[in-house]
Amino acid sequence: MAGSGSFGISSAPGHYNIGGLELLCDSVKVHNVKVELQNGAEKLTMKDLLGWVRTNLIKERPEMFMKGDTVRPGVLVLVNDCDWELSGQLDTTLEEKDVVVFISTLHGG
Amino acid sequence: MEGADSKPVKVRGRQCCICDKRRAALKRPKTLEQICRECFYEVFEEEIHQVIVQNQLFKPGERIAIGASGGKDSTVLAYVLSELNRRHNYGLDLFLLSVDEGITGYRDDSLETVKRNEIQYRLPLKIVSYKDLYGWTMDEIVKMIGLKNNCTFCGVFRRQALDRGAALLKVDKLATGHNADDIAETVLLNILRGDIARLSRCTSIVTGEDGPIPRCKPFKYTYEKEIVMYAYFKRLDYFSTECIYSPNAYRGFAREFIKDLERMRPRAILDIIQSGEDFRISTSTKMPEQGTCERCGYISSQKWCKACVLLEGLNRGLPKLGIGRSRGLNNDHTKGAKESNGTKSFESKQCGTLDF
Amino acid sequence: MACNASSCQSNCHRSDEQVQEEEVDSSTNSITGNDNKNQNVCAKCKFNESISGCGGEDGRFCADCFRGNLYGKFRLAVTSNAMICPTDNVLVAFSGGPSSRVALQFVHEMQDKSQKNFEANRDRSLPVFGVGVAFIDESAFFPAPCLEIDKVIQDIRLIVSGLGPPRKELHVVPIENIYSSNSINGRDRLKILLDAVSDATGKEDLLLHLRMLSLQKIASEKGFNRLVLGSCTSRIACHVISATVKGQGYSMPADIQHVDARWEIPVVLPLRDCLAQELYRLCHLDGLKTVELHKGPHSGINGLVSSFVTLLQEENPSRECTIVRTAGKLTPFHFNRIPEKNDSNITLATQRRQKRYNLKPNESISSVTFCPICNSPLNQSDLLRWSKLGNFQTSSDSFDAACCSSCRFQILPKDSSLMEHFSKGLPLPMVARAKQSSYSNLCLLR
Repeated sequence: MAGSGSFGISSAPGHYNIGGLELLCDSVKVHNVKVELQNGAEKLTMKDLLGWVRTNLIKERPEMFMKGDTVRPGVLVLVNDCDWELSGQLDTTLEEKDVVVFISTLHGG
Repeated sequence: MEGADSKPVKVRGRQCCICDKRRAALKRPKTLEQICRECFYEVFEEEIHQVIVQNQLFKPGERIAIGASGGKDSTVLAYVLSELNRRHNYGLDLFLLSVDEGITGYRDDSLETVKRNEIQYRLPLKIVSYKDLYGWTMDEIVKMIGLKNNCTFCGVFRRQALDRGAALLKVDKLATGHNADDIAETVLLNILRGDIARLSRCTSIVTGEDGPIPRCKPFKYTYEKEIVMYAYFKRLDYFSTECIYSPNAYRGFAREFIKDLERMRPRAILDIIQSGEDFRISTSTKMPEQGTCERCGYISSQKWCKACVLLEGLNRGLPKLGIGRSRGLNNDHTKGAKESNGTKSFESKQCGTLDF
Repeated sequence: MACNASSCQSNCHRSDEQVQEEEVDSSTNSITGNDNKNQNVCAKCKFNESISGCGGEDGRFCADCFRGNLYGKFRLAVTSNAMICPTDNVLVAFSGGPSSRVALQFVHEMQDKSQKNFEANRDRSLPVFGVGVAFIDESAFFPAPCLEIDKVIQDIRLIVSGLGPPRKELHVVPIENIYSSNSINGRDRLKILLDAVSDATGKEDLLLHLRMLSLQKIASEKGFNRLVLGSCTSRIACHVISATVKGQGYSMPADIQHVDARWEIPVVLPLRDCLAQELYRLCHLDGLKTVELHKGPHSGINGLVSSFVTLLQEENPSRECTIVRTAGKLTPFHFNRIPEKNDSNITLATQRRQKRYNLKPNESISSVTFCPICNSPLNQSDLLRWSKLGNFQTSSDSFDAACCSSCRFQILPKDSSLMEHFSKGLPLPMVARAKQSSYSNLCLLR
């Protein structure tokens, strides 16, 4: 689940790039995803994105990634290469073309 | 963290609290400071330098092997140690030492990473393999014994393999990538399984000084989160896949518990280590006497060392020999075979980084 | 479990048990006698049907052997540590929960037996120890409707008065009484104190320390010389882990022994070797009434630890015992034993037992300095930090400096104005402890 470097950048509206889920998603490293906003919402938050990832991206063992409505403790989240603890974690709002990377610290020596 | 949840205000580009110039990139678990990448590199490396100096981990002119698995901890250790060696003129001869357990699809891939590290950091690499040392690969062992208890074999064999590799390299010391999270986890595991002898030594930054090759842990006070962030930001080349023979997707409840704790109170990891260092353990608690194995000459508190007992079992087709907690293994081999079912799932989870 | 009741010394007790067993035997004989289900037979008496239900060790015993085994663990703890002597006057801390309910029950049974011995003995040489009960009303901290609290206190009165002779006096004391028994603003001061603590875990722990002060105060004022707590193995296992997590590894062994005499009134834990599950089961079997108080679940670190330990216990039913056994191998402090006194009333047998089981003191008493908040012995690094600080501007500064690093982190307010508030809310014993330890530390330095 280590995040890796290169991300395809899309210019289409509502697109986000997600990296670091390859172990849980058929070894696909980078996902260029388009997430529809919930009715009425102005901006997409990390909370929305995690919900979307859980239902649409993770093929197996979702408990390896999520615990409750957030990521498992031990999974680091970077939004545009910045620790999400600095941007409000679940309340972090996302913008077009944002890059979200998940890095698991739970294994590997 | 507790009681003071971060408000849902999004500030893109909060300033680094050290240089006050650049955008902060992470929150340090140790200090809760928000710092930028460049300042992070600096404090991260400087802290490890201080740990090395204050604990006198190395002496000028020493030959040091870095236990390299290709994973994040050992890769960052190799990188940082070679940097600090250059920057602060430690005068060390550094080597990479890897163990090839013979696990297809896991170790062969991670060894490729170590081989690239050899070139990237210009550190000579030595690989010792289970096949050469013991005549068995882990693949062959698992084929014989199945997925239960295989981590016991791997752990015992790896420990000895590292010592043998270190002896071949003629190094003075072995540096391993154990981080603060690993050590906190080990403290808890030793409490949970009642191992007072290990509890008393698991927080030492240098161990095995009476053995052939002392080991040290320069990352003893370094948070796993920072090691991962460092490797990520520096785009270090490391390998991260769970060992395919690891019996559990998670590494036990203890690991999960540590991570839950860290989220609630990041300081807890260092507090556990502090507790481990402060435990009042009376010297009268019996420590096993150290001798040497009659068969291979490796240090052992028994007639034969654990690796030889396990190996004997494999070669005689009694793979359960020596597994479990039976005391008088060497006196009665068949008895040892019978007691093999005593190992609880908990004990067998300890593998990978912990033993390394 | 590891410790069973092997040393039954008093004959009266044994005959009691035998009589009871015979009675039960005859009644259950007709039910179980005919079928040969060996799994259901008690592992101890090999006769009665074992109590089914939850698994684990205690499921192997019949109700009587289970009860006897549990009481035996209690009695062994009491006798081998000289917890209760005939001349003692013990105060049982009663929260209404299963653990302290069993502690109360067992202390009562022990008292009842010595009363019977006393009456049977012609020269009446051995007095019967006295028993009192204390309930700390914490409604200042856990606001609940008055009616509910009144109901709880009413229930507790009924439980205590229902215990039978000798009569036990019940002391119901609100926690704010730590300030002074007739102070009206106690509740406000307590609120100021607790409000100044921002960390949820710290607040919970501070309340625990205040409760102990409160119990000590009652015991001291009402003339008790022992304080009995119902802390069981499960509770102590949680404390071992949470103290480790809070960085209290040095002082932790002090808290988990059978005897803790660092307090004015020595504290004893006779249920240290009993599991929560067993105590709960005994309450259920014997219909011991317990009182539910709505304090809410543990929060913060304590809550996390308690669910972790519960999970481990489910995975392996001896895990809690192992945790306590490991911690038990750590070196206790000199105060973890009943202080010896030249009292002619202590029988020779008691003295012998004390010698056999108790630890040799391995350090001098004067070398220990205690944290004013949690009363833990300070470790080297705390003492070193303190000695480096030198002169203090204000009293709150010097109080701050005297505390252990764990309390400094999770209880003491970081903000200086909050610290002023906090200092104003501190009860006298904590302030006195800070002065006392400052003084002894200064003496050590000079």
